[in-house]
Amino acid sequence: MILVVDPHSGIPVYRQLVEQIRFSVASGLLDPGEEIPSTRSLSARLGVNPMTISKAFGLLEEEGVLERRPGRPHIVRERRKGTVRSTRLEQLEQALRPVATKTRQLNLEPDTAVQIFRRLLEDEKR
Amino acid sequence: MELAFETNGLTKRFDSVTALDGIDLKVRRPSIVGLLGRNGSGKTTLIQHLMGLHLPAEGSVTTLGRPSAELGHDELIRIGYVPQDIRLLDWMTVEQHLRYVSCFYPAWDREREQRLTAELELDVDKPVGALSTGNLQKLAIILAVCHHPRLLILDEPVSDLDPIVRGKLLEFLLELLREDEATILVSSHVLRDVEKIVDWVICLDHGNVVTDAALDELKELYSEWRVLSTNGNLPERFSESFVLTQEVSGRQARLLVKQGTSEVNTFRKTHGVEVTERSLNLEEMFPILVGMRSS
Repeated sequence: MILVVDPHSGIPVYRQLVEQIRFSVASGLLDPGEEIPSTRSLSARLGVNPMTISKAFGLLEEEGVLERRPGRPHIVRERRKGTVRSTRLEQLEQALRPVATKTRQLNLEPDTAVQIFRRLLEDEKR
Repeated sequence: MELAFETNGLTKRFDSVTALDGIDLKVRRPSIVGLLGRNGSGKTTLIQHLMGLHLPAEGSVTTLGRPSAELGHDELIRIGYVPQDIRLLDWMTVEQHLRYVSCFYPAWDREREQRLTAELELDVDKPVGALSTGNLQKLAIILAVCHHPRLLILDEPVSDLDPIVRGKLLEFLLELLREDEATILVSSHVLRDVEKIVDWVICLDHGNVVTDAALDELKELYSEWRVLSTNGNLPERFSESFVLTQEVSGRQARLLVKQGTSEVNTFRKTHGVEVTERSLNLEEMFPILVGMRSS
């Protein structure tokens, strides 16, 4: 798993990690049962404070994305099909929110925006 | 929770100048804490109190569980200290100096010493008096960490080191946190370095604590809002109390706010605006934290 953090972004590093792992799981880059690197090794590899990593893991546990195992690294938790789909939708919505803001700022009609979005989706397929 | 140090109402005056004005702090272990502030804000004076080099005029300081005036052998062998103004024995070679200091510490780790001198590229055969400022800083740091300190205090430790060495040093500080469960207090103006490793931030201003919070919390608290009106001009000034600075120009505004995302929707509706939020990094929030915002 490739994780990249920018410590100089205003976005706390733990949030950057949560988002990347959440995405990796939702998109199927990480399979259920797959092991996540330990706090210690990630801290060394990314050069960030181990507390930051524990915090990210803690949140992902609460969300049901990761599963804690005593004395061993976390694994990706098994999830029901419905949950997988709804987390994918949530992530898409989150990514589109700034686009919605920009559309309103540019004073464009929703229909036009949707048309552009549809065209972009089809372009990518080719 | 184990505390690395604690101060209660710590006050210090030098003649008519109040250098520290009732400082209350509790710093846990392990942790990497950034001690920030402008020149003359009291950082070094505070550090010297933790080491027992100054005694409080009022209030108290407890370091590793003991009043700082009574720090003895048991505590001192668990503290590492790199002062801003490094004074070492010029006539010794680096190797001799390392051997000399190692005698004081039963837990001296020769392997760590050798690894660090190699990694930081320090020539151990050179006389200390012939070292450049940067190399002197490296030696002072190595001398302060090979006994596995529980509390490591670094006063402007990296100012003369090149980016490669600074990077290695930051990695090593994280290792110290992981392996030794140390608390590391770093006073530095190089905010980009501090931001990479600290979990906690303390800011001093004119001898007062103006910030004492987790770095993540601060990043979530301070942000920039780019505001664009969707229905005509904006008010001349926004009067919301969470707006710290503002720059309004016709239909556009740039605000620095002390507010999580919770208020943003109300703000949007109240003013009929679109808001693009961006969190501030440490360098950007520093002027706000030390009370230098220009509103």
